[in-house]
Amino acid sequence: MTYIMSLFLFGLVLGLVAVASNPSPYFAALGLVVVAGLGCGILVGHGGHFLSLVLFLIYLGGMLVVFAYSAALAAEPYPESWGSRPVVAYILAYIVGVGMVSGLFWGGWYESSWVPVDELGELSMLRGDSGGVALMYAGGGGMLVISAWVLLLTLFVVLELTRGLSRGTLRAV
Amino acid sequence: MTPVHFAFSSAFILGLTGLAFHRTHLLSALLCLEGMMLSLFIALSLWTLQLDSTNFSASPMLLLAFSACEASAGLALLVATARTHGTDRLQSLNLLQC
Repeated sequence: MTYIMSLFLFGLVLGLVAVASNPSPYFAALGLVVVAGLGCGILVGHGGHFLSLVLFLIYLGGMLVVFAYSAALAAEPYPESWGSRPVVAYILAYIVGVGMVSGLFWGGWYESSWVPVDELGELSMLRGDSGGVALMYAGGGGMLVISAWVLLLTLFVVLELTRGLSRGTLRAV
Repeated sequence: MTPVHFAFSSAFILGLTGLAFHRTHLLSALLCLEGMMLSLFIALSLWTLQLDSTNFSASPMLLLAFSACEASAGLALLVATARTHGTDRLQSLNLLQC
């Protein structure tokens, strides 16, 4: 179990190295998909199944799909993958940086450094992660209303940004 | 610092450096911003799960909602840039020439 968790954690950091080294956005979006999948695996390993499913559905299935087809706006004839010279330089720099900082903590990490504390092992009705979502509808109702209002406001912001008609941000149309 | 704490902290800092040093495309910067939001989501979820504290347990969902707002505003700006300048490359944003 610890091997799988360490694999997911390595994959998280390396995936974000692949995104942050700024290849062509097609490859960066692919790296982000991998990072989100491994992050879901980490959450599942700690017992947060509901939040992992939420991340998969909303983040990967909603937001990243929009990013993926927006990558068509960044089309270029020779996209830079992770093998091209400037991207490799960034990748090496980031890996060396992360490796050096992790060397500071390496001595204190041992086998059970990430054993989650899970008292209610069997027949637990109250999970912390789904309990939080339920809390959003109960005591956190005000924040729920605020979030819904902000989402509606963002819809109008987006419509206004892309309106065109030579006013606002789109002057050429 | 536990390994998990180190992992999402370094993921956040890597996303931040990718955002600071983004080179050609505006969309690369937006994707690094999304990577930072993802690492924050994992961090907030692991707060509840690892420390057995449900005090802050609604925060990952709310963070996801606000992150969706921010991503859509960023993509609207990207579309406006691509429609106005013809491309999303940062060389074409040359209003501030120094």
